[in-house]
Amino acid sequence: MSESVRQILDRLQPDAYRGRLGKVYTDTSDFMRITGGDVIALDQQHYLVLRDEVERSYGIEDPKYWVKRCRHLESGERRLLKLVFHEKFTLQMGELKILCYRSPRKEARILDLVRKDSRFMQGFSAEDEKGNNIRVLDIIKGKRLDNWIYALDVDHKTYFQAYLPEILQKFIVSCQAIQYLHARGEKHGDIRRDHLWVEHGSGDYVWIDFDYTFDFHENPFGLDIFGLGGLLLYIVGKGFYSPKEIDHMYGSDKDGPHIKQEDFLLVFKNRLTNLQKIFPYIPENLNRVLMHFSSGTRVYYESLDEFIHELRPCLKNLA
Amino acid sequence: MDAHKILIAVDGSENSRRSIDYVSDILRGCGQYTIKLLSVEHLPDRDFFADDAAWKKACAQKRETLLSFLSDGKQMLTEQGISENMIHTDYIENCHSPLPGEPGYCSRGTSIALDILHKAKEEGFGTVVIGRRGVSKAEEFVFGSVSNRIIHSGSNCTIWVVQ
Repeated sequence: MSESVRQILDRLQPDAYRGRLGKVYTDTSDFMRITGGDVIALDQQHYLVLRDEVERSYGIEDPKYWVKRCRHLESGERRLLKLVFHEKFTLQMGELKILCYRSPRKEARILDLVRKDSRFMQGFSAEDEKGNNIRVLDIIKGKRLDNWIYALDVDHKTYFQAYLPEILQKFIVSCQAIQYLHARGEKHGDIRRDHLWVEHGSGDYVWIDFDYTFDFHENPFGLDIFGLGGLLLYIVGKGFYSPKEIDHMYGSDKDGPHIKQEDFLLVFKNRLTNLQKIFPYIPENLNRVLMHFSSGTRVYYESLDEFIHELRPCLKNLA
Repeated sequence: MDAHKILIAVDGSENSRRSIDYVSDILRGCGQYTIKLLSVEHLPDRDFFADDAAWKKACAQKRETLLSFLSDGKQMLTEQGISENMIHTDYIENCHSPLPGEPGYCSRGTSIALDILHKAKEEGFGTVVIGRRGVSKAEEFVFGSVSNRIIHSGSNCTIWVVQ
């Protein structure tokens, strides 16, 4: 007869605090039922579910019922378990509508590909008794890069001189990490600000969440490249600048910058790309890289090789 | 390159239909030409599906749709008075297809445009015809565009873009 949650806890974590004692799950298909106090048994290892993961955006909490915060009872360490949730949805990016899929299979494959590569979140996948592909992930102790940058309490010029050189250097390492995936026919699939984290202690940048995929047959890596461009814009600007914010910066100053529509981002048309117009000390070569993502550009980056090739020399001008 | 050899790349869309219409309008009563209707198999990725069975089913449907479109396209041309013996059809299978296939050149799925140009070069087509739906700058950056890539990468042939 299989063990109960109480018996498993008695055996593996006899001194731990006990809340609700739920059920032991070996089949995770019905993930909505699995909740705090249940145990997921996987490959003879046991994960006590603490709660559902929550994504916070603009002050709103969005529960992710298929992602469980757990304690690995054999080691006592925390883990994230991503259960199988096949989802197809349309992602709206400015004027673009992108049909996206959530693929456990893809994420499992990338976890294998990036094992022991500190530029990526770490973990492994295993199948439950019904063949569901569960990803067991280490929890990153750190902070989102954008929040980390936003929290720096300095003006832009100080940020630019004192912080950006190191941030840009590390960002290039993160770009090379994505380049590594592309070279092996894989894409991250969901490059956005909240998916690059700064790890406490090491200060390394770490990519998370690789389960999105999509179908662009003529430009399979286009969305990743555009995502990195957006992230670079945030990093260089220490935030995004909308027309309203620019007006606020300059008020009724007639000597303020003359900004045109082509100075804004190609996809999100309210984000200033031509940052040199408000921060004139931004070097020409760095601004030129940004402008390849603007509405006014005639030449796009077709690969990360091109993007990194032009971004790397910018470090010299910042030093 | 032989200017009398015309390759029409089709994908089952309305734009492809317009390309076929355009070629039949231009060539009606114009003597000897060789026309090939070409379709490059672009199958849904295995990652989009929960299991192999669902993926194979979707691939089979896609292949059937494209092969049927090739057959319809040939009929459209003959109905416009172009002799049947001037018209050929060709289908480039995907290298990663789970369906049984013919040996020979297959598409790796990284660029339909380059597959079309490969075929044009290999078989000496002097004219390549492609439909275009018209994409925004943002769409071109993020999604890419088969017709734009053919325009930029094509050489030693004339390219007709039908919009």
